[in-house]
Amino acid sequence: MSAIFEVENLSLHYLSRWGQKIHAVTDVSFSMKKGEILGIAGESGCGKSTLVNGLMGLFIPPLYPTSGDVRVNGESLMNRTPQDIRSNILSRKVSMIPQGAFNALNPTRKVKDIAADVIVAHLQKGGVTRKESYDLLRERFDLFGMDTERILNSFPIQLTAGERQRSVIGISTLLNPQMVIADEPTSALDVSTQKVVIKMIFDLLEKNIFSTMIFITHELPLLRHVADNIGIMYAGEFVEYGTAEQIVFDPRHPYTKALMGAMLSAEPGQREKKPVAIEGAPPSLAKIISGCRFAERCPSARPDCKLRSQAIRMVAGRQVRCEYAD
Amino acid sequence: MKLLRNLLKSPMFVIGAVLFFGTILFAIFAPFFIDLKTAMDRVGGQYLEPSGSFWLGTDDLGRDYVKLLLQGLRSSLYVGFLAGVLATTVGTLVGIYGGFKGGIIDDILNMFTNLFIVIPSFVVLILVSASLEQGRSLTIIALLIGATTWPWTARSVRAQASSLKSRDHISLARINGANTLQIIYKHILPYLASYVFMVFIMQVASGILSESAISMIGLGPMDNVSLGVILNQAKNAGALGDGIWWGIFPASIIITVIVFALFLINNSMEGVFNPRLRK
Amino acid sequence: MLKQYPTLRYILQRGVWYFLTFLVAIAINFILPRLGDRNPVDIMMAKASQGLSDEAVKEKRESFEKEFGLIEVTAEGKIIHDANGKTVKVSGFNQFLNYLKMTLSGDLGKSIQKYPKNVSDIIIEAVPWTLALQFPSILLGWIFGNVLGALAAYRRGVFDRVIFPMALFMSSVPFFVFGMVLVYWFAVVLGWFPAMEAYSGALNPSLSLEFIGSMGYHYVLPFFSIFLILAGGQAIGMRSMGIYELGTDYIKYAKWLGLKETKILSYLFRNAMLPQLTGLALSIGSMVGGALITEMIFSYPGLGMAMLTAIGSNDYTVIQGCTLLVTTSVLVANFSVDIMIGFLDPRVKAGMQMGGK
Repeated sequence: MSAIFEVENLSLHYLSRWGQKIHAVTDVSFSMKKGEILGIAGESGCGKSTLVNGLMGLFIPPLYPTSGDVRVNGESLMNRTPQDIRSNILSRKVSMIPQGAFNALNPTRKVKDIAADVIVAHLQKGGVTRKESYDLLRERFDLFGMDTERILNSFPIQLTAGERQRSVIGISTLLNPQMVIADEPTSALDVSTQKVVIKMIFDLLEKNIFSTMIFITHELPLLRHVADNIGIMYAGEFVEYGTAEQIVFDPRHPYTKALMGAMLSAEPGQREKKPVAIEGAPPSLAKIISGCRFAERCPSARPDCKLRSQAIRMVAGRQVRCEYAD
Repeated sequence: MKLLRNLLKSPMFVIGAVLFFGTILFAIFAPFFIDLKTAMDRVGGQYLEPSGSFWLGTDDLGRDYVKLLLQGLRSSLYVGFLAGVLATTVGTLVGIYGGFKGGIIDDILNMFTNLFIVIPSFVVLILVSASLEQGRSLTIIALLIGATTWPWTARSVRAQASSLKSRDHISLARINGANTLQIIYKHILPYLASYVFMVFIMQVASGILSESAISMIGLGPMDNVSLGVILNQAKNAGALGDGIWWGIFPASIIITVIVFALFLINNSMEGVFNPRLRK
Repeated sequence: MLKQYPTLRYILQRGVWYFLTFLVAIAINFILPRLGDRNPVDIMMAKASQGLSDEAVKEKRESFEKEFGLIEVTAEGKIIHDANGKTVKVSGFNQFLNYLKMTLSGDLGKSIQKYPKNVSDIIIEAVPWTLALQFPSILLGWIFGNVLGALAAYRRGVFDRVIFPMALFMSSVPFFVFGMVLVYWFAVVLGWFPAMEAYSGALNPSLSLEFIGSMGYHYVLPFFSIFLILAGGQAIGMRSMGIYELGTDYIKYAKWLGLKETKILSYLFRNAMLPQLTGLALSIGSMVGGALITEMIFSYPGLGMAMLTAIGSNDYTVIQGCTLLVTTSVLVANFSVDIMIGFLDPRVKAGMQMGGK
């Protein structure tokens, strides 16, 4: 099967008020086949959320593409007008489950109206009326085994965090998108709600409402159960990209190793192991960084690491951005 | 310091600050060159047009407008600052206490605050001013304005303080045994300082506006001229209908420029504190 | 209690609060004048006592004191004298109770200067003019300013760079200054519009086309002087609110879902408008104050003018009546806005159920 989603050397930047470029994403490449789940992990502020906008072809100033390409079914998302992206890509081909979904619903609209807005925005040309969209909606929400009538007729504030998150997932996947990008869908939820949400996402996959997904999180261990492939992001770059198995059990990049170390305590049974926090902070992306971006914080850095920027190379069957990794 | 550097990058702030501090310096130092003792004296004919000897002409009583305006400017600034200081001090204290302490006293303070926000302050101003005959001085008017506008400060400071209250470093200080006064002094005031300053700026502006409005309707100070008093006298003497522009516009422009400068400062500060407003 | 009817509970709660505020306002209206060094009876006596004998002066004084409820009278309205032939002063508290009773029944007393004209009659003549001028100008100014502010926030760019400084400047111009500028330029210099009054002095109020035309002609300048200043201030507020809302998660999500720009703008406008409505409720007092001064500039025969005349002639009872009416209408406006927000914003009622305000 050929890839349905391809990202090729994608670089993105923000333009500040004083004309300064901030290179938030640099040289990201991956491709996904139908039915594949890609996990992307990294600390907050590593460019994950910026990448999401780029992956949808949604460039709202001050975010601009620097170079590279994103293709859905071989069709490029670059250099298209916002109107084109809005009506042909968003919700239909690539959809998004945002982070912190409890604030993602317009507080002064009922859930059913928010959802109907989406249907009307995309299917009105196809002759779907607002009234029909309510029926469509009911059908879909019933599918999740939710308390459909009550939830649809509520304002977001009348729902629990979990109900809101599930409503958001329902709304994001209303139009059966080919691709779903879930940006930390479980962060800021309590553990039992997290489970419900994850279960719902897998329900949708099982029911074939969508089949391909990018799952973004800062909790690397969570990806082990979810993802086929994992990309580790640091300071706007993929530093390691391989199968979930490889990344979680046999990390090769010093940052992935450090990240796994920092996360271990979250895994049951390993509570006694103390988490090793990674010292320091990622570099400022306002400057062009010449050497390895992780060198400052890398426990196994060598003097020349800061001199050369690192290229992707294959180590033990996966891509690693470190010339000394083995 | 970083804050000041950011502010100086904003043209709005620079313009506002230059205008405002320029006006203040002028009000302070101009009397060394312009003798204000003769401000109330008749020096020429009625409504003389601006000329070499009277740059801004004379009023209906033949007084030199340059001197009157300078005196009026000083009065208006005095009222603005006095009212602003009073409203800010009372409002900040009430707001911090209420926002930070909570409880029954907060409920009562909050009720008073809300009460005096909905009762129009100019109503109170008019009622008191109109009942005072001899005692209606510049200072009394300033104090009255301050006494009616503090709830606005209290309201916004209270909201800020109660959002600060739940922050971690305050809980930490509390656990470490710091008492309320220490916490307010060490942890709340520094955070609130710039915010309170912005509120102060607005209170000065509203003090100047209130004074000129109350004077404009004939309830101004009896012991001094202010910009509002000048406008009131010009209006009563029919300057507007007779097209005596120098009786109306210089004073109007001075009030507007001061208030505009203060608004510019306030708005640019808001832009710096609230990064979303920038871009 | 009333748990099942959150809307009713909300309305009742606000209603009770505003009624209590109203009582406080009446108390303020009663107390403040008595703090000063002026006394209505003295003012009236100064005018009425000329050329009267001492006995007549005393009688006159007593009748005025009776009129203002300062001394005790019998049920038939006869003044009570004590053993020394002196009148008996009514205690401050009883004066207040009488004042409260009178006020609540709509009796605002008699004008000092236009004695024995009722204050309420003076006010009733003035109110229609004030309503006709202020209601449309404040409402339209509010709407216009908010639309402008929302567009400035959404579009940014050149539009914002022009609108924002202009609006900021307009909002810092005092009402009366702008009124005078308009009068000077459009009435005195250009002569396009009349400078004063609400209709031509040559006409008698009637429903004739000529009179209505004259009213419209006289309406233009005062209307715009309130409308534009108000719009400036509102645009500034709406712009910051709009920019704030633009950064919220639900707007981002709406963009990610591919909603149309007009829909997103309607989300933005509606939600940013709610705090603006609260702002309107809170600042309606100062707006009305400013607008009243505008009436004075234009000698528009409304409440502002009535108040100005009363201030000029020390007619304290009229001033009191006007201030009470202004306060009351501000409270009513606030109450209506509160109720409106309760209906428009589900968060308000939900917040209340959870025990907050």
